[in-house]
Amino acid sequence: MIYFDNAATTKPKQTALSRAQIFLTERFFNPSAMYREGFAIQGEIKQARTALLAPICSTQEFEFIFTSCGTEADNQAIFSFAKRGNAVTTQGEHSAVYSTFQELKNRGVIEPRFAPLQKDGSVDVQKLLDMIDEKTSFVSVNHINNETGAINDINGIAAKVKKKNPRVIFHSDGVQAYGKIPFRLSKDIDLYSVSAHKIGGLKGVGGLIKRKGLVLPPYIIGGGQESGRRSGTENVFGIKQFEYAATEKFATIKEDWARLKELRSFLLAGLDKEIFAPISTENGSPYVTSVYAEGLRGEILLHTLSDKGIIVGTGSACSSNAKHRYSRVILACGYNEKQADGVLRISFCDETTRNDVEEGLEIINSCARELRERMK
Amino acid sequence: MKQVIIIRYAEIYLKGKNRGFFEQIFANNIEKSLRGIKHEMHRPSGRYIIDNFAEEDVDEIVSRLKKVFGLHTLSLAYETGTSLEDIFEAAKLVCEEEGTFKVESHRGDKRYPLTSVEISKKLGGMILSYNYKLKVDVHKPSFTVNVDIRENDKALVFGNYIEGANGMPVGTAGKALLMISGGIDSPVAGHMIAKRGMKIDCLHFHSYPYTNDQAKEKVVDLATTLSSYTCGTNLCTVSVTHIQEAIHEKCKPELMITLLRRFMFRIAERHALRIGAQCLVTGESLGQVASQTIEGMTSSNSVVEKLPVLRPLVGFDKNEIIDRAVKIGTYETSILPYEDCCTVFLPDFPAIRPKLDEILREESKLDVEGMIEQAFASLERIVIM
Repeated sequence: MIYFDNAATTKPKQTALSRAQIFLTERFFNPSAMYREGFAIQGEIKQARTALLAPICSTQEFEFIFTSCGTEADNQAIFSFAKRGNAVTTQGEHSAVYSTFQELKNRGVIEPRFAPLQKDGSVDVQKLLDMIDEKTSFVSVNHINNETGAINDINGIAAKVKKKNPRVIFHSDGVQAYGKIPFRLSKDIDLYSVSAHKIGGLKGVGGLIKRKGLVLPPYIIGGGQESGRRSGTENVFGIKQFEYAATEKFATIKEDWARLKELRSFLLAGLDKEIFAPISTENGSPYVTSVYAEGLRGEILLHTLSDKGIIVGTGSACSSNAKHRYSRVILACGYNEKQADGVLRISFCDETTRNDVEEGLEIINSCARELRERMK
Repeated sequence: MKQVIIIRYAEIYLKGKNRGFFEQIFANNIEKSLRGIKHEMHRPSGRYIIDNFAEEDVDEIVSRLKKVFGLHTLSLAYETGTSLEDIFEAAKLVCEEEGTFKVESHRGDKRYPLTSVEISKKLGGMILSYNYKLKVDVHKPSFTVNVDIRENDKALVFGNYIEGANGMPVGTAGKALLMISGGIDSPVAGHMIAKRGMKIDCLHFHSYPYTNDQAKEKVVDLATTLSSYTCGTNLCTVSVTHIQEAIHEKCKPELMITLLRRFMFRIAERHALRIGAQCLVTGESLGQVASQTIEGMTSSNSVVEKLPVLRPLVGFDKNEIIDRAVKIGTYETSILPYEDCCTVFLPDFPAIRPKLDEILREESKLDVEGMIEQAFASLERIVIM
């Protein structure tokens, strides 16, 4: 099997799993417990916090709050800070942000504003800035688009946003960026969501990185864990495994980026040009590549490919409901429904090899040709 | 005093010499539906008693029994001694806190010293002096205390009657093959036929890779819900992808559905005969969609040679069908937005009144037998308990 759906989830890193194993078996204690064994676990979590923060920002200026996933981190950021006036985000957001904005609108809390996208899926910065006024309380812009891989220069955007309205809280969904793109958070970023399972960690672990000094109202209330900002007994095993997996990933982050960039160019060059047209551009994240095959249905191609051992993602679904059928993001990039119907997402991880891409290309091309013949 | 459940059956009463056959199947179905729950069942005359179950299982038992066809009503009762004091103790548990009531008594044991009327009078008096908030109303009481003196020196005391699913026990009327899609209608059609005593097997057509596994899983979920009424079912799935592709390639696009449906009916009949089913059941409702016109039905029926095709929903409006789907618990699953038959090949304007000679002309371009054989090669069987 060749796995090209790493934007959905990645295979957990084996060494990180074995290293963290001890927190399932011998060191299973509750980190909030008073005895020494429990207290020691608190130290372990603290260490994980630092290890997860250090590669992307100053541990003096930011802190790390563990959550159960990226979606929870996004929700906590939005529900805690988008409370008045209007809030601005982009049409390219993951549903964790997009639907939460819609929900706030339904509840009558804020007026949501969705900035349009450019053809590659990155936000049109000028139009985003035009939407910001003195009543804007919150802005959320994803770092890397999960469908097209387009990169938003969030440090630059945040600086411009703050210049226009310094009171805005700036959040970025970094789920597809953390541990992948070599990058550091600037002081203009207030909140940044991350997820473990996109970089060899486990499902069920995520985090919200927060600028120190910013008071974060709790979203989940209870026993006061995470300094009262996110109650619930910590997933110690998941957190430690995340720490180990991220440390491993960050160690080769630049090399991976450069190597995958080459692989991605190779992929784009190798796809049958009569069938596939690229959505992702060379400037985007090499981890995510979206293409479309007009006239073919992405999901059908996905099924035929999975029968042949190639696992990919798609932007469309065999849904009888048009709302669920086309990717809202791809349509927002300016593609029509026919094009959006044929989207294929090929996403890499640090373990993807040139061999995988060569073999994958051959099968993807031949399956697409065959399917096109059958559906003519 | 112990809690028991009284079960009364429906139309089986009307049966004559073969009543025993119906009773036996009914009893088996009850046992099947209570599988996994500790209980005992007894069959005194004309009804069934469930006892020796754990108190915390009562709700689960009742909700399962309510789905057993052939069951007219059931009551949660207390079995106690026949002295008036014992009966009164049980009656207290049956009584509501306030409102109006009456006592209905029945003597199975005619040696009992009091007549039915006397039992009702005396017990009514005891209840009135026990709770001053209650009043007697023999015409329109808000609840009834029923007393049944039985021949084994036991009395049953119970409150209201809980309505069952009625109909005939599944398995008393043979076996049907339900053509199940992922939609709202077919599970309802299956439910209606099962209600009249037929065992139901299901057949589903998919077009993988044009449809996905979620769509198939949805059908498994629907069949599972249906099986709680039908004492289990067998679901078979067959791929019609190659048939759609061949029609798409060789025939007029507006006849896609008409031709495909003829294949489905052929496959269904052959499958039905193999598994011993005696009819085909579909969820068609006249005029609901382009293929469900009388011409469409004629075209499908003409390929079914030996079996009747039952369409229990033929005269139902969509709203009526939805109401039933909600009631039997399939609606929520049915409206999940997965395609059941791929729309890739669907024409913009399907033929509404297909003519048989034209259909036959188009069909002659296809290797019908070969394609049916290929379809059977893809058959998968899922047993749902």
